[in-house]
Amino acid sequence: MPDELLSRSFAIRGRDFERAGEASTEIKSLLKELEIDPAVIRRTVVIAFEAEMNIVMYADEGTVTFVLTDEDIGVEVADRGPGIPDLDLALQEGWSTATDEMREMGFGFGMGLPNIRRNSDQFSVKSQVGEGTVVSSRISLDGAP
Amino acid sequence: MIEYAHGFRMNEEACDGCLACMRACPTCAIRVKHDKASVQADLCIDCGSCLKACTRGAIIATTQKLEEFAHFAFKVAIPSPVLFGQFPLEVPPEIITRGLLAAGFDAVWDYGVDLELGARAIADYAERWRGARPLVNMTCPVIVRLIQVSYPRMTEQLLQMEPPREIAGRELKRHYSRELGLPSEQIAAIYVSPCQARTISIVQPAEGGKSSLDGTVGIPQVYNAVLAEARRVGESGGQSPEATVARSRPMLRWATPRALPYVLRHYRYISVTGLPNVTRVFDDVERGKLKDIDFIECYACWAGCGNGNLTVDNVYVCQAKLQTLMAGLPASDPVTDAEVARRYPHVDFLLEHPFAPRVRANAGDLRERVRRVKEAETVLHSLPGYDCGLCGAPTCVTLAHDVAAGEAAPTDCVLLSRQRLQELRRIHPRSA
Repeated sequence: MPDELLSRSFAIRGRDFERAGEASTEIKSLLKELEIDPAVIRRTVVIAFEAEMNIVMYADEGTVTFVLTDEDIGVEVADRGPGIPDLDLALQEGWSTATDEMREMGFGFGMGLPNIRRNSDQFSVKSQVGEGTVVSSRISLDGAP
Repeated sequence: MIEYAHGFRMNEEACDGCLACMRACPTCAIRVKHDKASVQADLCIDCGSCLKACTRGAIIATTQKLEEFAHFAFKVAIPSPVLFGQFPLEVPPEIITRGLLAAGFDAVWDYGVDLELGARAIADYAERWRGARPLVNMTCPVIVRLIQVSYPRMTEQLLQMEPPREIAGRELKRHYSRELGLPSEQIAAIYVSPCQARTISIVQPAEGGKSSLDGTVGIPQVYNAVLAEARRVGESGGQSPEATVARSRPMLRWATPRALPYVLRHYRYISVTGLPNVTRVFDDVERGKLKDIDFIECYACWAGCGNGNLTVDNVYVCQAKLQTLMAGLPASDPVTDAEVARRYPHVDFLLEHPFAPRVRANAGDLRERVRRVKEAETVLHSLPGYDCGLCGAPTCVTLAHDVAAGEAAPTDCVLLSRQRLQELRRIHPRSA
């Protein structure tokens, strides 16, 4: 494992739409400050944002953890919530359990997890119904997915 | 490392360390150390904010004079559309073109054709574009540099195209070299410019590479010659010569901050002017708030190029005159249309080297950057957060970064160091 250079953890509260997106905005400005390649920033921020929104929309609470190493960026998102009963289904583009209210706000079009997977170089998701979900992504610093 | 050329120089003797320029700089490129302002060249975007803010005459615009082009056999003016709104309405475009000849140019290029070509090429580019939106126009050199320095993630949203003035430079050299039998190196393509930034875009194009233009002269330099010509024609009672430029409305639209809507009709388009407004909009773009917008036409100067730092008339008066002029002109004219149709298939607008984010000098490797970010965070905790600027950096955040980079000390802060306060009192006795 490459050395960890920098890490940040953000606590996210479920249903807190007011503050939704703050963690990914902070990660974005941090990466900008570190002069990380713009394409890598874009992918990392998409991942962090989608993951953050998943917590806000579906879970009770969770954390977004960001880790920078010499080689890559890791984003791990763990929540305490309902879990995902059928992961294969949740990974299909367009599949969603969002309410009309969420859709009115412009979310819940079933692109969350698929988007995270598409932007990751390594991706894994583990979920336990009734307990919660852990989504892990890695984005390498030097190359295209 | 590239050395960046800029359109300004600082006169150390005249500078009294008043902090006005430092506070005005949109990219935090200025520091005031030991009572003197200095610029971090790799952060400067040539917007001219410091020049406007300085009341001591310590920041001087470096301009080119027509005499500097004397070694060229043939000098051709490319008139910025803004020029046509600078004179009283009794001075029509055809007199302005004659005034340019009287000022010392050998010919005045029919720039309306290149602008129309540019408009078409931009419409085609937008039509084919499948990447991130909104797209941003590349015609204002300050906006291009602002994106390279402060919004690196947006560089791909810049139109990766040569501006029309570059196309004009290439074409006029070809044209006159054929017509006069001169080598193209002996033909000067000179832009008559409303701003400093255009000069820099020629001396040092933002994308690297080499400009097809040879330089600029500011509008003030030709202003009197044009007025004198108008007086001469008026006194002789002679007929106005036939118009060779500004024959139709589209050319003059380029002097306004809404040059492009007529070719982008079905696009969700906004026009933004003035650097503070542009940065607010770009911040929103970065936050993903403007996904519904297809195209942003933006200019660093408030109200557009008519407010450039090398203009003469008031920007609102200039705009009103342009509106009157445009109302009297046809929507298109056959000469321009024929030239555009002839040239369009042969013009390559795409940049040879695309715009890329500007690489900061001395940024260090990833580990060093991480170290600096961490140290800056620690330092920032000890700073008051008032952004008073008395330390010589524009904000507490910039001071923290300077400390992390080894270029400043936390004790530069007047609230952390009595000594610094005393030093300032010595420099500015009136505050004692």
